[in-house]
Amino acid sequence: MLQRDSSFAREALRYGLIVLVLGFIVFPIAWMIITSFKPPEDVMVSPPRFLFTPTLENYVHAIYDKNFLFYIKNTLFISVTSTVIVIIAGSLAAYSFARYNVGDGHLLFFILSTKMFPAIAVILPYFLIFRDVGKTGVGRFLGIGLDQPGALIISYTVFNLPFAIWLLVSFFQDIPRELEHSARLDGLSRLQVLAKVVCPLAAPGIAVTGVFTLIFSWNEFLFAYILTRKVASTVTVGVESFFTLQGILWGPVAAAATISVLPMLVFVLAMQRYMVRGLTFGAVRG
Amino acid sequence: MSQSLSVPTSRQRTAAGQAAMSDRWFSILLVVPAMVVILVFALLPLAYALDVSFRFADLTRGRIGDFVGLDNYRTVLHDKAFWDSAWVTVKFTLSAVFLEMVLGIAIAFLIHGATVGKGVIRSLMILPLATSAAVTGLFWRYLYDTQFGLINYFLGLIGLPEPNWLGDYTIALWSVILFDVWQWTPFVALIALAGLQALPKEPFEAAELDGASTFRILRTLTFPMLKPVLFLVLVLRTIDSVRLYDAVAVLTRGGPGTVTETMTFYLYRTGLKLFRMDYASTMAIFFLYAMLVASLFALRPLLTQFSSRASEG
Repeated sequence: MLQRDSSFAREALRYGLIVLVLGFIVFPIAWMIITSFKPPEDVMVSPPRFLFTPTLENYVHAIYDKNFLFYIKNTLFISVTSTVIVIIAGSLAAYSFARYNVGDGHLLFFILSTKMFPAIAVILPYFLIFRDVGKTGVGRFLGIGLDQPGALIISYTVFNLPFAIWLLVSFFQDIPRELEHSARLDGLSRLQVLAKVVCPLAAPGIAVTGVFTLIFSWNEFLFAYILTRKVASTVTVGVESFFTLQGILWGPVAAAATISVLPMLVFVLAMQRYMVRGLTFGAVRG
Repeated sequence: MSQSLSVPTSRQRTAAGQAAMSDRWFSILLVVPAMVVILVFALLPLAYALDVSFRFADLTRGRIGDFVGLDNYRTVLHDKAFWDSAWVTVKFTLSAVFLEMVLGIAIAFLIHGATVGKGVIRSLMILPLATSAAVTGLFWRYLYDTQFGLINYFLGLIGLPEPNWLGDYTIALWSVILFDVWQWTPFVALIALAGLQALPKEPFEAAELDGASTFRILRTLTFPMLKPVLFLVLVLRTIDSVRLYDAVAVLTRGGPGTVTETMTFYLYRTGLKLFRMDYASTMAIFFLYAMLVASLFALRPLLTQFSSRASEG
């Protein structure tokens, strides 16, 4: 009886602490969503108001006055295009690393070391190169140049490719190679094996990698901030457009932030099983 | 791992030899697209930065100028602001990573022992990781606000002092750290939790039967077995913290004064506000070199260890 009491107290303490931790983690995001539904007169008040009549005014302001959907559209186009390129080039390379061990591991680590590059170290050359390329006919035709979507698509592809390759290698390694052997014996060519046997089996892994790449591109700030001004700006930069001379409009900021964060929250929840694996480049298969 | 798909036999040496050859070409062809992208768009800009670091390049006075040898390197090494920003980066990295590791591991143990609701707990923990530091960081300015902010409101309720989070010289860096801790402690906790859950059961049952104390089990069993995972998290977090940019950019813009100006932010300011591309490129080269050394000596052995273990299992 005594033992049960003490273990009950322990469990109560445990869950009490967990609730405290979760409160700290969830509260900023929750407060952001709550603020986005507040009428303007309840946002900039001291002390903060917890009871109010919900309104969509901030969303209307963000979408109609500030044209926030424009940034969403840009971000969607840029991150999806970049993700498609990353997945195609990344899957081919990762399969080669996982099955044929091209470069005896050295090449794979060279690729990883480019991931360790601080983005800020290459941002100046990118800025100068895209500035010059953007003035040429080819650059204008392909949309590569400062404040052009092509510049961001290239940047995100380069910076997500190493991560994607590492994660994909771990997924390809999980596929038993006996299946490929027997498919080869059945007379399929290597490319057919890859397309008809390996890819369907690796589909979940490829999808997970794709979602990660999409999230990273969607949330990226540094390149978007430095390489775009107006035409190709993404959501992370768009939120900053709510700074006005009178100060920051926190209601509309909260609405815009909620719009831009929500899709990623949904994605992440949908694949929480793979989060640990993704976040560790496929090293920890939790 | 190094074996290719077709295994040569002595009977079909020539045919197998050709097949192996073609395996080799096939495997090389597969990596070509990715390698082209990386070589062209990662290494070329680097070569460009290296070139600019040896030149005079003040963009306010026109184009990239003449070759000046090691002048920029000398200037950067004697630049007090550069060393100040390096010191800010070190302070930030040590404090943030330390707090995230300690709290994250503690939270992992807390959740590991929980009997119900683990799924829900994990889902909620993931949320900060899905958000962009630039977007939520901006909103944290509202939380930190001295007038309308919720944090000071709560502190006031329990009678604590209400600091000027982002405006006070002594506190601003800690406010950036707190934001980073909020976003990244769940990362440490989730991975440590995955590590805990992957531990084998037998040694622990045996130790309990022998009557070993909880502390002893932790010290001699749990932590030694968790070490690889924890070390990996530590390295990943450190690399990310050293490159911190987004949070500083939206929370403080390096201020007040330069107390929160990290190396990345100083580099950005030198290059794209003052347009001294030469100094900025030189700093980038320094920075890159440091990161390369770090990832070569810390990350590479770690990931090799993990991937070789994965292929065995």
